[in-house]
Amino acid sequence: MSGELSRRSFLRAGGALGLLALLPPARVEAFLAAPPKAGQAGRFLNAHELDTLRAVVARLVPGPPEDPDQGALDAGAAEAIDLLLGAFAVDPPMIHAGGPYSGRHGGGRDDFTHFVTLDRHAELGWRIRLEGSRGRKEREFAGPVRGLQQIYREGLAHLDERAPVTGFAALPAPAQDAILSDQSDPAVQELVGVAFSNTLEAMYGPPEYGANKGLAGWTYTAWDGDRQPAGYTNAQVSDPSPGAAPRMSAAALRGLDRFLPALHGAPAEHGRAWVARKGLTGR
Amino acid sequence: MAAWALRRAGHPVLILEKGRNLLPGLGTHKRLGSLFGNDEIKSGRAFENQDEVLEPRTSRTQDEAAQGVERSFVGDVNDLPTVVGGGTIHWDAKTPRFWRQDFKGLSTHGPVPEANVADWPLTYDDLAPFYDEVEKRLGVQGDVTKMPKTTLAQAPRKHQFPVPPNPPMYAGKLLAEGAAKLGYTAYPFPMAVNSVAGHNGHARCNSCGFCSGFGCPINARGGAAVSFLHDALLAGAKLRPRSFVYRIDTTRDGKRARGVSYLDANGKRHTARADMVIVAGSAIETARLLLMSRTAAHPHGLANRSGQLGRNLMFHVFTLGIGFFADDLHAWRGPNTTFTIDDFVGPYKGPEARAAGLPYLKGGICETGGTLLLVQEAQLYGAAPNSWGAAHKDLMRASPFRRHLAGMSMVGEDMPQKANRVDLDPKIRDVYGFPVPRITRSAHKFELAASAYYGPKLAAICQAAPGALSGQTVPVGTVAESGGPGADLAAGQAATAHVMGTARMGNDARKSVVDRFGRAHEIDNLFLADGSVFVSSGGFNPTNTIMALSLRMARHIAGKRHPAPTHGPRRNGDRD
Repeated sequence: MSGELSRRSFLRAGGALGLLALLPPARVEAFLAAPPKAGQAGRFLNAHELDTLRAVVARLVPGPPEDPDQGALDAGAAEAIDLLLGAFAVDPPMIHAGGPYSGRHGGGRDDFTHFVTLDRHAELGWRIRLEGSRGRKEREFAGPVRGLQQIYREGLAHLDERAPVTGFAALPAPAQDAILSDQSDPAVQELVGVAFSNTLEAMYGPPEYGANKGLAGWTYTAWDGDRQPAGYTNAQVSDPSPGAAPRMSAAALRGLDRFLPALHGAPAEHGRAWVARKGLTGR
Repeated sequence: MAAWALRRAGHPVLILEKGRNLLPGLGTHKRLGSLFGNDEIKSGRAFENQDEVLEPRTSRTQDEAAQGVERSFVGDVNDLPTVVGGGTIHWDAKTPRFWRQDFKGLSTHGPVPEANVADWPLTYDDLAPFYDEVEKRLGVQGDVTKMPKTTLAQAPRKHQFPVPPNPPMYAGKLLAEGAAKLGYTAYPFPMAVNSVAGHNGHARCNSCGFCSGFGCPINARGGAAVSFLHDALLAGAKLRPRSFVYRIDTTRDGKRARGVSYLDANGKRHTARADMVIVAGSAIETARLLLMSRTAAHPHGLANRSGQLGRNLMFHVFTLGIGFFADDLHAWRGPNTTFTIDDFVGPYKGPEARAAGLPYLKGGICETGGTLLLVQEAQLYGAAPNSWGAAHKDLMRASPFRRHLAGMSMVGEDMPQKANRVDLDPKIRDVYGFPVPRITRSAHKFELAASAYYGPKLAAICQAAPGALSGQTVPVGTVAESGGPGADLAAGQAATAHVMGTARMGNDARKSVVDRFGRAHEIDNLFLADGSVFVSSGGFNPTNTIMALSLRMARHIAGKRHPAPTHGPRRNGDRD
């Protein structure tokens, strides 16, 4: 493992890819405030790849006019995924936001923007997860790992292969949907699996990770997001909150069947990372 | 726990922890801080949890093992936090006690076919004073006056809880009403969550809702780090984070532990010598370490003459009840759940048990009134093929599985089976180059029959709650076991962080690994202080019992070892 994680080697890697080198936190914040525009390269993806990813996330979580509320494109999900893929271009990498407060509900400061430094052990895990094992012995102790960078790069290229005349991004939405929903194409489904999971995180997670811009994902869902240090009052915990959200009808409930995969149908090809979350179950 | 009690008794203590520390100020006189936030992304990115990329586990079913399949899965198998503070860094902090009958399963209810049922070598009364002390230190909340008579008969208490219950969660109140209509009793869930500002020096819980599976941003939740380790370190115990112990070193004759060998944060090898070794790696990692420490004197793993090391691995098998409501229940506000129901602990000896070929059925306590958080909800809807797009967004807007849901989860007792085990994977290695633990596991029909019997009762409670549109049950353990459609998704819900067995305690050295104080039968200065020593799993969250057993063990050691030894553990520098 010696030399694997040296600062110099990842500076070199950043330079070779034409990406940003080490940035102090202030520059990270500035970078977040001015994400790459259409036609500009991201931190890991090139300009065309990033445009294609934008087209993908716009279909996965659509916004106006198809849906009344802002979608993943407006929320900056593609740019946030690019930030994750190129996480090691900044120090500390934007993988684990800091804590405990964001300043949105008291506390007076945004600790989330001070990302937690990975130690040597954690850094290796994330390098393998993002970059893959690349045939290197010190990364293949449990077998080869296909990294997220490779999955996105090859998956986005494959979408263009499916749309050879115009490229995927220029297709009309129904044609894009037809490709993305093609369950007979494992290369498409590998990309959709990770991209959908990452898009949902970006859309509905804390904005410090680069997406959920204007709290788009929290506003239309009437979600408070992080609540510390204010928390909730006793009444907010124990009493009903009439009128806070639309009531749900029995008919809407019946429409849920296709979304109960534990009971019906096969699960989508997601990474297992989120599947292992405990949700309802106790610890 | 053991470090705290032994340090207070005057013993020099060195703690080697595989993970890093995420609580700034721990063990110092500065303010105790936290790097955790209400952050669903971070909690899904191996922040505090063992990173399954670096330290995978493998698994297979009993049938696969019989067919010679080496493994059918590599990755996260019931992973726990690998961090200073261990599992309690993000536990749900529910602290029920085991019942009298749990310690005497064989003599009280008799054998179960194809299960390795045995009595514990101790009783509830042996453990009760240690439960009292642990709960006081953790700052457990509850209300003894609201507890059912059966519970108090099975797990008697001499005192009221240290602090009163949190404000009851609205969804839990509705389900409690539903339960009452059907003759069941929901009562305030005992939990190590501080409800009084400043109690034990800790902040009051403000019901932020990011509790189970999230580190506490304000340290209002008790646990190993904040309730014990902090003071142990202040009292002089030494902590070395990112120290991976790969071997317990023993004397040539195999009768004594000499210390341990470990890797530091830079991968350098060290040894630490001590006159006593206490292992608390949780049931899977503890068994793995003892198996990796085999020597000529212990050819099948340390202290494994009985052949029980690694066997009898138990999880809990969850069964969910789900109620959908027209109203907004905001069931994410609060410490996951604030009510529990004990009516399904069992045993039940009726026709459904006999039809399954079993002498009785047992379920477990029921965590009552929880729901999903936002990203969890989004990922759940996203699990079906082609579920993206406008329809997914419509679901997020309508929010049946978050805003309109009140859930219950029954902590189903898991029978010990010899064939459910941890051994060393023959091929897969972790980042350190050591064999990873391989989990072989299939449910016993006991768990599946109990889930089928009690599940509809959970659904009935949900249905009976005021305003419920429907009540359903999801037997996640059974769906996961089926291997059919939905098994992968259910496996996530069914994969509990309650890990027990693998080095069971007993009086008979031919049938158990450690004695009634957690001391290895074959190595008199090696102790186990985690869930590995459990003989049965009960239908209860296990941590309170793990802590009570550890405290009892430490007091036993301290009592036997006066005066304290004058020399401390030594770091012998590089080796190899």
